[in-house]
Amino acid sequence: MLTVTSLSRAFGGVYATKDVSVTVPEGELRGVIGPNGAGKSTLFNLIGGHLRANAGSIEFGGARVDRLPVHRRARLGIAIVFQGARLFPEMSVLENVMVGANAATRAGAVAAALRLPSQRNEERGIRQRAFAALGRVGLAAWAERDAEALPLGQQRRLQVARALMGEPRLLLLDEPASGLRAAEREDLSELITELHREGMTIMLIEHDVSMVMRLADKITVLDLGEVIAEGTPAEIRRNQRVIDAYLGGEAAHADAE
Amino acid sequence: MTRRIPALVVCVAAVIALVVPLFLPDLSFYIQMILAAVIVTGLSLFMGYAGQASLGHGAFVAVGALTVAVMTVRLGLPPLLALICAPILAAVFAYIVGLPLLRLRGHYLAFGTLALLLIVQAVIATVPFFGGGLGIFGVPPLGVGDAVISGQLPYVYLSLAVLALALLISRNVIRSRFGRGVRALAGSESAAASSGVPVLRTKLAVFALSAAFAGLAGGIMAFFTPYVSSESFPVATSIAYIIMAVIGGLGSLWGGVIGAVLVSLLVQVLNAVSNQPGLPATTGPVLQYGAYALVLILALLFIPKGIVPTIAQAMRRRRDRRADAAAPTDVAVEPWASVQG
Repeated sequence: MLTVTSLSRAFGGVYATKDVSVTVPEGELRGVIGPNGAGKSTLFNLIGGHLRANAGSIEFGGARVDRLPVHRRARLGIAIVFQGARLFPEMSVLENVMVGANAATRAGAVAAALRLPSQRNEERGIRQRAFAALGRVGLAAWAERDAEALPLGQQRRLQVARALMGEPRLLLLDEPASGLRAAEREDLSELITELHREGMTIMLIEHDVSMVMRLADKITVLDLGEVIAEGTPAEIRRNQRVIDAYLGGEAAHADAE
Repeated sequence: MTRRIPALVVCVAAVIALVVPLFLPDLSFYIQMILAAVIVTGLSLFMGYAGQASLGHGAFVAVGALTVAVMTVRLGLPPLLALICAPILAAVFAYIVGLPLLRLRGHYLAFGTLALLLIVQAVIATVPFFGGGLGIFGVPPLGVGDAVISGQLPYVYLSLAVLALALLISRNVIRSRFGRGVRALAGSESAAASSGVPVLRTKLAVFALSAAFAGLAGGIMAFFTPYVSSESFPVATSIAYIIMAVIGGLGSLWGGVIGAVLVSLLVQVLNAVSNQPGLPATTGPVLQYGAYALVLILALLFIPKGIVPTIAQAMRRRRDRRADAAAPTDVAVEPWASVQG
């Protein structure tokens, strides 16, 4: 599904991502962990197209995508849920989610100006799917509200709903649980598990290591822009390099919980 | 959708707009006001919905007016054909200059569009074919074959029809997949792109659409005036379009109309005042610029979102409060996964 080969990206001479190679097979839930500044978000931004790599390649579904602009990658099925909210503040919750469908639909400005029948049909479909997506993340009751009025936890759900509207084949989740309360985290975990069970390929960056250990099929560990380990949660937990570089205290902490 | 104005208000406004010109002795002011509303409606699409800036929208009015003047006077082509070409050429022009221009953001884009207007003025003033120092006189009246419009009133109704068309197109576009992409750009370009919105192409399309409105208004102006020169499109007028858009409310369908009407009326009143005997000739411009500044400052201080969105927001708040009072409070803490599947 996704093959990242020797990907590098530097900012002013400092490598945020250095010679990173990751292969994620279809349907896998891949955890990505590492200390702050390890290059996790940079990796996601490179895959999503928000940053251009200095070297290396990205293959998605068998084709090179590393030269494609963001919206083309979105149309191919790469969706990203950003760490910050990045909502569309002037729009309602429902409209925010409906924008997500742009990656999977067609009608253009001319069809809209003339209100062609095909365009109206597509609109109806988008609206129905948006309500369904909102229901799925538990935001149906908020559909008509201003998006900027939502509390943080719900903004995150809104982003997930928006991403789902694009019918993604690869979902990149950048710390979706940060700032959420325990119950909200639990609900988010269930949603991720469910999407995974439905066959969606997911990459999950998360500081909550115990959550990643629980959800992920395999985990990639980054440190200072490089991959230092890759394996199943059990392997990662035992990996001496990971423990030295990063896990140590946190793993002990997670075990104690 | 949430920015809808009650149908009754629209009907009353439409009737007033249709009846008032029957009682006015001179319709120049009225027609300028309606055409300004058309231009500002387009500008509001670009500035309000797409979140971009254009200080030089007069450039596209100029392209539309010049299209009409050149095609009819210089080339002797049928007036109606010229009018149809005005918005199309303005849109094509916007698309071409937009390719480099829309890569700029914020202040840079604002200055870039201002420079565009100055360049267009300079080109008209120096190229004789486009009017040169004299301008192009004697644009024939609009008509088809021998049937020719005479008098001012038909132009008023034509302008009102064009305004209605502009509002209808804007409404349809805003409430569409494309329009949501446009509005998403204003919120977050990266998130919009991630949602499949082609950023530059979408900006170009809105820019071209808003230029088409301006070009059509310019074309009608050329027939009405009937004279086009480099001085027909002063920078101050383009600034006035922005003031109209801001006061009426950027990012609201009716804001452009409200802003154009209010600012035009204000300027008209000031003109009447400054034409009183005994006042120096500079009174008019001084009052006008002073009023622009004062109105803009007051609007930004007290109704920064503009008139229409401020009213719409107040109405929406009231509705939400009522909904909150009616709904059981546990809606707000509904667990995330309770409605899965």
